[in-house]
Amino acid sequence: MAPLTPYTYIQCPCSDPSNLSYSRASDSGSPIDGNPGFDDEEHTFDPRAPRSNYSLYPLEYLLYCEDCHQIRCPRCIAEEIATFYCPSCLFEVPSSNLKSEGNRCTRSCFQCPICIGPLSVTSFETQPDPNLLAAPDHAAAPHSGPYALNCSYCHWSSAEIGIKFDKSNGIHGQLAKLRNGGTTRLTAKERKERRKDILQSGGGGGGTAPGASGDTGNDQQAIDMETQFTNLKSFYQGQLSESTSGGNGLSSLGDLGFASPTSLSRIMSIYTGGSLHDKKSKSRVGSMREALDPNEGLIVADLDESAAIEKLHSEGIDGTVDTEQLLNQPPYLGEPHLHGRSRFGSELRPIPYLLRTKRSKRCPVCRHIISKPEAKIQTTRFRIRLIAGNYVPSITIRPLNLNDNNGAAGTPLPPTAPLPDTLQPLKPAHFLLIFKNPIFEGVKISLATPAKTPGRFASKVTVLCPQFEIDANTDVWDEALKDDGARRRGAGGGRKGDERPGSTQGQQRAEAGKIWERGRNWVSIVVEVVPASLRLDTLPTEGPEGEKVDMSPLKEDEDVLEIPIFVRVEWEVDAVGDDLGSSLASSRDKEAKEKRELAYWCVLGLGRVSQA
Amino acid sequence: MSRRPPRGEYIETDTGNKVARKATLVGTQNIMLGGKTVIQPEVMIRGDLVRSVPSSSSSASAPGSNTAVAIGRYCFLSRGCCLRPPGRLYKGAFTYMPLRMGDHVFVGSQSVVQAASVGSHVHIGAKVVVGEFAIIKDYVRILDGSIVPPNMVIPSFSVVAGQPARVIGEVPEGGHEAFELRDLYKTVGNNPQPAAPS
Ligand SMILES: [Zn+2]
Ligand SMILES: [Zn+2]
Ligand SMILES: [Zn+2]
Ligand SMILES: [Zn+2]
Repeated sequence: MAPLTPYTYIQCPCSDPSNLSYSRASDSGSPIDGNPGFDDEEHTFDPRAPRSNYSLYPLEYLLYCEDCHQIRCPRCIAEEIATFYCPSCLFEVPSSNLKSEGNRCTRSCFQCPICIGPLSVTSFETQPDPNLLAAPDHAAAPHSGPYALNCSYCHWSSAEIGIKFDKSNGIHGQLAKLRNGGTTRLTAKERKERRKDILQSGGGGGGTAPGASGDTGNDQQAIDMETQFTNLKSFYQGQLSESTSGGNGLSSLGDLGFASPTSLSRIMSIYTGGSLHDKKSKSRVGSMREALDPNEGLIVADLDESAAIEKLHSEGIDGTVDTEQLLNQPPYLGEPHLHGRSRFGSELRPIPYLLRTKRSKRCPVCRHIISKPEAKIQTTRFRIRLIAGNYVPSITIRPLNLNDNNGAAGTPLPPTAPLPDTLQPLKPAHFLLIFKNPIFEGVKISLATPAKTPGRFASKVTVLCPQFEIDANTDVWDEALKDDGARRRGAGGGRKGDERPGSTQGQQRAEAGKIWERGRNWVSIVVEVVPASLRLDTLPTEGPEGEKVDMSPLKEDEDVLEIPIFVRVEWEVDAVGDDLGSSLASSRDKEAKEKRELAYWCVLGLGRVSQA
Repeated sequence: MSRRPPRGEYIETDTGNKVARKATLVGTQNIMLGGKTVIQPEVMIRGDLVRSVPSSSSSASAPGSNTAVAIGRYCFLSRGCCLRPPGRLYKGAFTYMPLRMGDHVFVGSQSVVQAASVGSHVHIGAKVVVGEFAIIKDYVRILDGSIVPPNMVIPSFSVVAGQPARVIGEVPEGGHEAFELRDLYKTVGNNPQPAAPS
């Protein structure tokens, strides 16, 4: 099993609804009074609870609202789209185009239907030609068609599905008019004219697109979805106009059926964007007949699958598509009809790229913007970017070697060192937690952990120093000036005995109540864990209240040692130029200092416990 | 400091580049380094694969136009990776095109990069193949073992993985700083400094 890299996840306060109301209260009153931490300490947060999956985030994913003084996560923030753009050609798509063209790129950006790699337009002339290589004079000769879309990863070509293009630009438009196999498809205008002809000629076995004449299919298959929709639409429109005249005053129940004009006009206004909605419909009653032939939009389900079975015999399973390929397929209205669609690779089509967005983010409580990118696509700058990492101390976990008898004892493993594969059950292990303060004030940190981790296999946890202070994150220039000296001292392979309060003879022992090491804006402390044995026979036969104990085999990731830890950060800020609530607080405080506090649960993933 | 070899493992240039003696740089006159870049042992840079067809604007005589590989500042090329300019038929003749790389680009060990351009603040994991003429924009993370198909464009703030590579996620707002390679630069060379405490 892959060794687990230690991780720290923070729980967003939005997972507890009372926290959101707390934040609201803090807008009007003092932020110190409504203290959420004390309530939370009553119950231990269980990182394994199914709900926890949705509220735990690495610090980088969290934002921070400066008005609510609270952490915000991807789940609770409100997003607003600033820009739509194509991820392949990086052109911006104005939102007006989205309504008419949809959410895919309409330039020549396509993905391979087989492997989703990018497709590029290539001329059939560009096959490697030794003569051309030798004589670059030919280079001036421009490429001429036909062109195809080619995948540079799996070498799929649109020629395989019989699609070739006359021009190398405007591929999206050309493709829309081409069916697989290369037959052309009627445009909306052509379809209209055809309909007229059919109606005039009495509506006999029409509907066959001229290009589809080579197909062996019958009339029904030649009607693509778009044609069928137009046929149905005009049929029902005709029905509606007929029913207007035949109103007899009866309403109520008859109006709710499928065949009632009211229902029909309502449904049609849904599918046609409201353009058909008219106020008169309310007064219409009676029922109407349904479509009876293809020209009215009737298509009888084709249950004869012998052709598909035959194809499966000849092409085998390799000729069929998988679910993922099917799901990646965009809807294509030029398909013959829904029955038996896209079972074979030959029915797949190039996928126009889905557009991507740039989004700004708002605080869910106070509606202030907490993240706002520049709208232009080519820039990566942000106008506003309130990330939690600038407000909340980061916690880094490093395994600590205390039991080793050789010279390495008492030194944290360097971050580059390979991590120990597993934790041994029932054997104490030590970890360094390094807290780094990002803010320009000193902070006081209080930690609380349950003595035993929640879950079936309870490991013992001891935080040796649950309360400590971290100095302010001083100016960057101070750091740069001090940097050299501090680094020099640290260069001697980690022998920094003078910096460690608990050190004896250059070696260090973890002591309760003492921090391990302190730096400019960071403090490291030791946490001791005694991992539980993962053997089922070590479980008690009965729970504390006589309930049955779950004796099922080890579940996924149940061997990962996760410690819930409650972190409270307290600091003081100058009350100058702050909001209304804090000025109330400062009037009580003579030194014009305002107390701030942030409290949250986080979970430390330390490693996997050995199952031996 | 105690067991420094008599001759440093790295050549450190005036602009702060740290080039391992065991790295293979072919055609050095066509390789541009912006400074403060680390090139680890067994890295190969193919500066010899220079453009053979003059560019359309006939500026071939301009100085620096035959750059094959241009690398910005604070890039980190891990052990065993390879940078190779992409090549293709251009107006009927085969030619290489320059590979351009921005600042703070990390290339993991045993990866092969044949992109046309790699932006700034890009992390390419280990054993990754970046196909010819791929365009990687800024703040992109390519996970270990990915195969980026030729000609693929990867927009900014993408997390990319798979074979073929696809965008699997977005770099979060708080993840921008993790692309900085200034600290990593200090940890290698003839006089390496230990990593920062956190
Ligand atoms: Zn949240
Ligand atoms: Zn596009
Ligand atoms: Zn493909
Ligand atoms: Zn807010």
